[in-house]
Amino acid sequence: MMKKELGSFVIGDGRRCTGCKACELACFMVHNQKSNHVGMTVGTVGVPVVPRLYLTRFEQGCMPIQCKHCEDAPCLNVCSKGAISRIEHQVVVDEQLCIGCKDCMQACPFGAITLLPYAKDGCLVPQSGSSETKVFAAKCDLCKDIPQGPACVNACPHQALRLVDPEAEREEKNIKAANALFYMKNW
Amino acid sequence: MNYFVKGNPDLCIGCRTCMIGCVVVHEGKHIFEIDPDSYTFHPKLHMVKTARLSVPVQCKHCENPACMAACGVNAIYQEDHRVLIHTETCIGCKACMDACPFGAIDMVTVAGVRQKDGSEKKVANKCDLCQGVAGGPACVRVCPTQALTLVTEEELEDLAKRKRMESARSTFCEVYHCDEFSYGGRE
Amino acid sequence: MGIPEIEDAKCLLCFGYNGADSHPIVARRIVRGRQKGMKIICADPRVTETARISDIHLQLKGGSNLALVNAMANVIWKEGLADEKFIQEHTKGFDEFLKVIENYTPEYAAEISQVPAETIRQAARMYATNKPAMILYGMGVCQFSQAVDVVKGLANLALMTGNFGGPSMGIGPVRGQNNVQGACDMGALPNSYPGYQSVTDPASREKFEKAWGVPLPDKVGCPITHVPYRILQEKEERKRIHAYYIFGEDPAQSDPDLAEVREALDKCDFVIMQDIYMNKTGLHADVILPATAWGENEGVYTCADRGFQRVRKVVEPEGDLKPDWQIIAEISTAMGYPMNYKNTEEIWNELIDLCPSFTGATYEKIEKYGSVQWPCRDKSMEDKGTPYLHKDGIFATKDHKALFYGTDWHPPLEMENEEYPMSLSTVREVGHYSVRTMTGNCRTLRNLEDEPGWVQISPQDCQKLKIQKGELVKVLSKRGYCISRCLPTERVKPGAVYMTYQWWIGSCNELTIAHLDPISNTPEYKYCACRVEKIQDQEWAERHVKEMYNDIRTQMGIQPGKGARS
Repeated sequence: MMKKELGSFVIGDGRRCTGCKACELACFMVHNQKSNHVGMTVGTVGVPVVPRLYLTRFEQGCMPIQCKHCEDAPCLNVCSKGAISRIEHQVVVDEQLCIGCKDCMQACPFGAITLLPYAKDGCLVPQSGSSETKVFAAKCDLCKDIPQGPACVNACPHQALRLVDPEAEREEKNIKAANALFYMKNW
Repeated sequence: MNYFVKGNPDLCIGCRTCMIGCVVVHEGKHIFEIDPDSYTFHPKLHMVKTARLSVPVQCKHCENPACMAACGVNAIYQEDHRVLIHTETCIGCKACMDACPFGAIDMVTVAGVRQKDGSEKKVANKCDLCQGVAGGPACVRVCPTQALTLVTEEELEDLAKRKRMESARSTFCEVYHCDEFSYGGRE
Repeated sequence: MGIPEIEDAKCLLCFGYNGADSHPIVARRIVRGRQKGMKIICADPRVTETARISDIHLQLKGGSNLALVNAMANVIWKEGLADEKFIQEHTKGFDEFLKVIENYTPEYAAEISQVPAETIRQAARMYATNKPAMILYGMGVCQFSQAVDVVKGLANLALMTGNFGGPSMGIGPVRGQNNVQGACDMGALPNSYPGYQSVTDPASREKFEKAWGVPLPDKVGCPITHVPYRILQEKEERKRIHAYYIFGEDPAQSDPDLAEVREALDKCDFVIMQDIYMNKTGLHADVILPATAWGENEGVYTCADRGFQRVRKVVEPEGDLKPDWQIIAEISTAMGYPMNYKNTEEIWNELIDLCPSFTGATYEKIEKYGSVQWPCRDKSMEDKGTPYLHKDGIFATKDHKALFYGTDWHPPLEMENEEYPMSLSTVREVGHYSVRTMTGNCRTLRNLEDEPGWVQISPQDCQKLKIQKGELVKVLSKRGYCISRCLPTERVKPGAVYMTYQWWIGSCNELTIAHLDPISNTPEYKYCACRVEKIQDQEWAERHVKEMYNDIRTQMGIQPGKGARS
């Protein structure tokens, strides 16, 4: 592949998904492993179980929905605090900077962002000046700190999630289309 | 029915004049006068070269466009026998790119426009059959070997009709062992 | 043969010629021929666009040309496909030739060329049994140290099948540079006056001495590829070169072993460069004379098929520059030999009157017919020139008979070895012509491809070297190295890499070898040993390439981010 220019993203396949939510659990776990000591068993979970992708049920079935790391990202463009930026082609939220204004949530056409409670060391962190829990805009970060790649993709028992390298896939599909042209020459 | 441009690998010599023709017609002739860094070079068709094939691949302007179905912000629409992208609406989410089975859509930078964090803005880019251009698609016009043709509804139907006639003739001749009919020859 | 005749041949043998990349307009004729049912045999180590649409692709190993050509001759003779009547009536030396090709069985050639013996047989049969058959050859033949021998070998094939003297047959050299044919026609060769009149022939010399009113030397001059030697190593002071006037050529980019070329240019006492844009040679020049481009001047070009064509001025040149003919006239005048031509037609008329084979090609005639192919001896409008040579099997020898030349194959000079395990061949890419002095300044072409270019390499070799598409790699030979981008392609065979020679940074002529064909003096650009190395720190490499590019552009006085003239 040539030098990467576009952000990758994970996409769900509604034909394979059974709605088991393994992806959601895996997502929650990897994002709270270090900071909140969440382990393999239920007993280690001391914070609310909130993932960054959403198993979504609709008329015809179900599938997980998550961030597409848009190339002209509405969330990024509306953020007044400068908490959302593009780092190595991916759209990333700076949890520390976020003030929970909900603009990004409204701007995202996919519902891929929600406000999650901010927890540290297994405890919810209160806001300064109030006893309410501090929140932040959370969304898929492609599990950037995990060498094996997105946990949801690896956890799905039905291979209903796929990490997309859009440029590489486009080239592959181009080649298929070219081959097809060979077979439909001008008879 | 939508029209489309089709490449013929038997005639293509891989010279990429089509790609330059495409850029010049979409950017306008002023690109020869302005600072070379102030325009973008984003052909809307891709030259594919494999071990034994060279041919440009571009949008087929499907009748039930997968890209249009996948678009979350309604930026893709059909008009005037073609599938078009409203690039002002597009947020670069890559859903269309993923949906298109031909790799006909890519995400390209927009000259002079940045996202809020200063990163490049990219939106979907694909063949628009040179909408509004006198003389029709530039790629077809500039190809030195006439390897590209604009296929219209009428032509596609004529072609099918011709093929059915030929098929009938040859079947007839085979059954009655007559060779009075000339086969007409393949085009 | 004429270029338009290509499409009407029954069979085309395309040997070491990649039309789609070097001359798309000629490639168009090949495609059209294909549509008309022409059989195509393509001999090329890569899958070129012509190979792709060919009936038989002889994917030979680089440097095995003559073995393959001789084996085709062997098959044609052994299988009784030769035109014996033509051989008897119009040729000489066939028996001696047979003795040479006797040894070149397809099996023997298969070992050398890696083309299966059966494929060689099929190709020979196809060529010999589809008449008229035409041969086109390009730099894949000429840029070897065994070049002239292969050209003769191809001519042998055409002779033994009687493929000479009619339309859509014969052998066609498709030239390597813009107007090369014209430069040769005009006597820009070390051994001839205009019109291929030899400098060693007293009668010709006398004619030109009389016409020009000066004594002329009776010795052959110095070929361009000997210049570095004559500057750097020549022992005899009398023969040493002190001044070098270069125009429309960029030897610091296009000649082999560039380190040596640069040294020669720097050590030469006085270098003049005359060109339309700044180039690599200009960086070593003492004086730069800005010239006009096509479209800004007028004159005559010769096409590869000997066709004279007019070029016309469409825009007035801007700035302090003059057309080449005026510059030459003024320098000549300043040096004590006044030239007072008023226009190009006056020069042309003087020239055609001195060259019997061009005499009939007046401006009026070229204007009227679009192209006039020499020989054209008569000024009357009825003599429209000669579309194909050797009509009725009458050749340009004293006894009008063609001569067979049989030569044995020998390998290229520098073969792969332990330190440099791969072979490198320079090639062309469509969009950038030659050293890209012209096309590098065309912005859309630069958008399509820019520094540092690509090195074409097989996917198998990429795997071995752990390199990926788009990665910057180092390519090295005994003589130097350069940085280029990796382009894995199934169109090349493992063990061989290919680079285009126009890039300033990915400059493959840093690597090539100045080993010359003994007759044509053309270097062996198509074969030298090299090695490809992975660069671990890609970020550094990207930065380095960018800096080098900016440096060169700054040295040339080009503003960063701008074209040369904007």
